[in-house]
Amino acid sequence: MNLIDKYVAEVGKHLPLLKGREDIEIELKSTLEDMLEDKAEQAGRPRDEAMEIELLKEYGSPQKIASTYNTHPYLIGPRMFPTFLKVLKLVLSIVVIVLLVITVIQAATATSMQGPEFLEVIGKGFGTVLSAAVAVFGNVVLVFAILERTLPEKEIGDLSDNQEWDPASLAKEPSPDMIKRGEMSAEIVFTIIGLVVLNFYPQILGLNFTVDGKWVFVPILSEAFFGFLPWINLILLVEVILNTYLLRANRWSIATRVGKIIIEGVSLAITVILLRMPGLLGFTADSFANSPISAETAQTLVTVLNSMLPIALTVVLIIQGIEMAKALYGLLRINYKTK
Amino acid sequence: MENDELVQNMLLELRRGILSLAVLSQLSKEQYGYSLLKALSDQGMEIDQSTLYPLLRRLESQGLLQSDWRIMDEARPRRYYVISPQGKAVLSTLKREWSAMTETITKMLS
Repeated sequence: MNLIDKYVAEVGKHLPLLKGREDIEIELKSTLEDMLEDKAEQAGRPRDEAMEIELLKEYGSPQKIASTYNTHPYLIGPRMFPTFLKVLKLVLSIVVIVLLVITVIQAATATSMQGPEFLEVIGKGFGTVLSAAVAVFGNVVLVFAILERTLPEKEIGDLSDNQEWDPASLAKEPSPDMIKRGEMSAEIVFTIIGLVVLNFYPQILGLNFTVDGKWVFVPILSEAFFGFLPWINLILLVEVILNTYLLRANRWSIATRVGKIIIEGVSLAITVILLRMPGLLGFTADSFANSPISAETAQTLVTVLNSMLPIALTVVLIIQGIEMAKALYGLLRINYKTK
Repeated sequence: MENDELVQNMLLELRRGILSLAVLSQLSKEQYGYSLLKALSDQGMEIDQSTLYPLLRRLESQGLLQSDWRIMDEARPRRYYVISPQGKAVLSTLKREWSAMTETITKMLS
């Protein structure tokens, strides 16, 4: 094996896993042989090792030559990158938000909200969020790196937004600072209904039945819950005022977004406290002792409602979290724009 | 020094597009890599082997060139390249575009 053969073999080792590797090697060897022949002719003496060394030095390192055949030196190429970014942002934000909410719920329900136990749950939670985020990032990169290498070029093109863009669509695009009037009005109406029901018609939130011709009312929510009513009233009222103001102003401002963040923060705190409060349900199976409802049905009712309440509160918690994140995002965007 | 590097990079970019046109234009008659390299060099278009061979492979994978192996000498089989019908069509469009472009740029630079 002469130097040229060894050189060609070395280039082959560094070639990416592509079809035609053998072709490249044969063609390279043939070219080097041609060049060496020219060199010998020019020098007027037969080829020798010194001449081979000189030629190979001119030609360049095997790694460099092999890299020129790699037409696709990307892990994720420019065609795939915009789609990759979109998917990454979406998946990362969903995973992080869900895990953060789970951490808050765990911290609120499994600990006394203070002391080393609470800190441990919070610490572990953030650790989980961080490692999950890294794992999500790695997996999305892996999936796209595989797609990059397996999808035909045409289909990669189809992934990106290559539809014709119409500038008129800009006019239809509402400013992110604009108030969604329908959404805002609905929010005000439902908040007022909630306030009225909680304060004046709490009997709606209960079960009514007759015992010996007399109406008996069993409330779903306990006294402990209604102990929080002043706080709930306050926050709902402030929310109605803010929403009414926004409906008039028609756009978000820094102050209103900060207000919204504070309101959602306090609401989140109240929901978390309610979630970890024992005895939220206003009755036990015994409350139905004299009712037409059998003891078995009463027990099932208690079990079902006892598991439904935390679920309902968790849903509220998630909605509040999203609202807060939206306000926070809007605020950060404003700050970014003004810089 | 900084300017030299800038100029080198810009020249590299300029040449990158032109090389495909130069290679296509020289392959109406079949040639193997090294003979093409010399033909280009004889006409004043210097090109590195490390640029030419990957370019030939790319043009072939795009269907603009055809190639086949010939064994004249057992130790030195040669791969001959020639422009394909699709390559001819592309070349004639590129030629027209090139003429228009050079005319415009010449006017701008004069």
